[in-house]
Amino acid sequence: MKIFYKDLSSRIVGKPSIEDISKRLFQLGHEHEVHDGIFDIEFTPNRGDCLSVNGLLRDLSVFFDLNEDKQLYQEQLNKLEIDFENKFVTGCKKISFLKVDIEEELSQYSGELKDYFENLELNKNNFFTDISNYVAYETGQPTHCYDFNKIGKKIIFEEIDTKYDFNTLLGKKISLNGRNSVFKSNENIINLAGIVGDMSSSCSDKTRSVLIECAYFDPEIISGKAVRYDISSEAAYKFERGVDHNCHENVLRRFLHIIEKHSTIKNIQFFTKKYDELPIKSIKIDVNKINSILGTKLTYDFCIEKLTNLGFYLDGSELCIPSYRNDISNSNDLAEEIARIIGYDNIKPKRFKIDSIKSGNIDEIDSKIKSLLIDNGFYEVINNPFVNNNEGNDLIKIDNPLDVNRNYLRGRLKESLLNNLLYNERRQKDSIKLFEISDIYSFDKITEDFHFKRKIGIIASGRVDKNYKDFSRKIDEKYFAGVLQKISKDINFKFELISRESLDTKIKNKIVYLELNIDEIPKSILDYSSAITKSRPNIIYEPISEFPSSTKDISFSVLNFSNLKELEYKVLNYEHINLKESFVFDFYKNNDKKEIKIGFRFIFQSSMKTMTDNDVNKILDDIIKTALSVSDVAVPGLDY
Amino acid sequence: MSDKKDINEPNIIKVEGSRHPINLTKDRIINFLQSVGFEAIDGPEIESEEYNFDMLNIKESHPARQMHDTFYVEGRSRVLRTHTSPVQIRGMLERTPPLALISGGKVYRKDDDATHLPMFHQIEGICIDKDISFANLKSLIFKIVHELFGEDNQIRFRPSYFPFTEPSAEVDILSKEGKWLEILGCGIVNPIVLKNCKIDHELYSGLAFGLGIERIAMLLYEVNDIREFYKSNLDFLNQFK
Repeated sequence: MKIFYKDLSSRIVGKPSIEDISKRLFQLGHEHEVHDGIFDIEFTPNRGDCLSVNGLLRDLSVFFDLNEDKQLYQEQLNKLEIDFENKFVTGCKKISFLKVDIEEELSQYSGELKDYFENLELNKNNFFTDISNYVAYETGQPTHCYDFNKIGKKIIFEEIDTKYDFNTLLGKKISLNGRNSVFKSNENIINLAGIVGDMSSSCSDKTRSVLIECAYFDPEIISGKAVRYDISSEAAYKFERGVDHNCHENVLRRFLHIIEKHSTIKNIQFFTKKYDELPIKSIKIDVNKINSILGTKLTYDFCIEKLTNLGFYLDGSELCIPSYRNDISNSNDLAEEIARIIGYDNIKPKRFKIDSIKSGNIDEIDSKIKSLLIDNGFYEVINNPFVNNNEGNDLIKIDNPLDVNRNYLRGRLKESLLNNLLYNERRQKDSIKLFEISDIYSFDKITEDFHFKRKIGIIASGRVDKNYKDFSRKIDEKYFAGVLQKISKDINFKFELISRESLDTKIKNKIVYLELNIDEIPKSILDYSSAITKSRPNIIYEPISEFPSSTKDISFSVLNFSNLKELEYKVLNYEHINLKESFVFDFYKNNDKKEIKIGFRFIFQSSMKTMTDNDVNKILDDIIKTALSVSDVAVPGLDY
Repeated sequence: MSDKKDINEPNIIKVEGSRHPINLTKDRIINFLQSVGFEAIDGPEIESEEYNFDMLNIKESHPARQMHDTFYVEGRSRVLRTHTSPVQIRGMLERTPPLALISGGKVYRKDDDATHLPMFHQIEGICIDKDISFANLKSLIFKIVHELFGEDNQIRFRPSYFPFTEPSAEVDILSKEGKWLEILGCGIVNPIVLKNCKIDHELYSGLAFGLGIERIAMLLYEVNDIREFYKSNLDFLNQFK
């Protein structure tokens, strides 16, 4: 909600600065940003009472003294004889109507009404609707204005459960469906209660006779309707969060005061009716309990003083809750009020000992199988479970999917992992080993039971590894079996070779896949001891380049065997910002000729651009130069 | 991992894989909390409305229960859990205090844009005992934040609102750039929730907290785009060894 700084400061004694108010708003839990003298505040959903200038001032009054309230219309209000029937009392426990007739054409807006539209850069509608919007901004209570000459003599409030096409006063056509609370007149719906009025009964610039409705709706009947009908409604936002049932007369008198400042009033009539008891809520004040909740040692007098500042008042040992505070019902709520006032950061932390039963690791098998796979070069992935293909009858259907392509929960991990593999192949990866562990759910339509299995999916394709022993070996069932033998030699794992026929790829490598229930993995896995200790501390992610990589191979001849290690060290530890990877992919020792041939593969990639041959060769030249600094090393075929 | 064989042969370097950074972060937090006495528990991702909302004092009219925020399945018979709190409800119903439970896992919300994903991960903890206070909660939160971000990190507590805690707070840390960043929500367990879990709320009180793992991982590893976690890009995953 946007609230203009001056609307707050002008009501506070001493006119505190924008920074002072901002600091206090944060302390009270009203997160906000400040732009051009406007507080854009995100109120928590329990604080409907703060959705107005007055509401926010009530909260700020624990820190600041306030000036007098805004002026109200002071004259007596004559009774309005209205034929109103409330057929849904639980939805509307109190309602008031004010009928006002004005005399002449309207003058320009002045005072707070003018400032409101100018400061917050809002569009005007018509005189009465504009005042209604301003009054809601100032007091928090939404009102709705009907052009009195456009509605029938009888008004009914009721809950309907029929379809109805409704033209909102915003010019949007909506089709009401399901349960809706509405006002009707002459059999027509003239207002979707608490959300938006209809076009036919709405006010215009020509309206001289207005009926202003001011209601207390149960938040439950408003909740979700604005979203359902895709209507942006400030009124609904306020009603959903709860309004003050005790404010009607003051709000309507304020409305009248503003009309009076702009026009000559000919006639005023007022109607109000309470259909159900709206008792004053109270709590037994227990300061020990508040201290026990907060871990503080506050005095009774301190707590009472602060709560009184917020509008609470004592009735014997009972603390009465103001009618606008729908969020307060127990000592914890009061403790929160006190904590906000003293400041959360001012409550001193207090150490404590956790006295509970400790248990083992719930994911021990997951952890061990992960270690085994990671030791063998597999990367863990996590995928979204939403799919569109109903592979079987037992997939779980999402009632309200994000879109038609994501309307089921997956029944297996295979498709997700295959997509991950193909994605990496497209990114020029030639050795891809992935796995995912996830709970997979199913639904038995006959018994209507939900079931789940914790599963692991493992997929791999391409080169076995990036070293000279494994570089030419391709991943196949035999490789897979070798890795998984470490789980158990007795189990015959059922690998699947995924056909590439229907896949959009020219790569021919085998794709090997295995999916297992975690509970099928023998307990012997718990004996597996990982060779990897722990991941590096303080990992900082380096953004991935979207430019293509470039691969270069260089073969060196080493005539003095004892220099091999030095060469290997110098080449593999060569650093350049665009050298992403280097490894030995080929090695041959010819004892007869007393010569070693060693091949290095280098992968280059820039984060700034596509590297040219020239860019790559410059780095390569430097690597070769470094390599040739080792004695008895040469690059066959190159004139270095 | 290197396997030295012959002085005149190159090392056979085997490429290691890596854990997913989200699970890396999750395990780190869970391990720490287990070390201070929390018991790790697990629960289903498909939940009843009763456990996901009602027991946690999230009323029928709460915006979170609307179809636009929560995924409902099989004719609204269940929901995809919107947080890991229902696991704690199950934990509390199965145990008697004192108890300290931690649960982490996938949660789902009907959001899909540059900063929100329909599936993400949370860790939530609850500790119920006699005389647990907001001051105790602050002490624990300081420990967690120091463990994750170091002892020098400046943190602040802001009042917030969660239906299942009262008082409720959000915790921010001060970034290197001098910006406050929200990292977790916490509070004193609402006595209504204790009552729902058959715990004597006059005798016991509790603290609760919840962290979004993606958020923590993004801050720890300086990942700017949440979607990177779920592309399964080897160039990305390779950085978390």
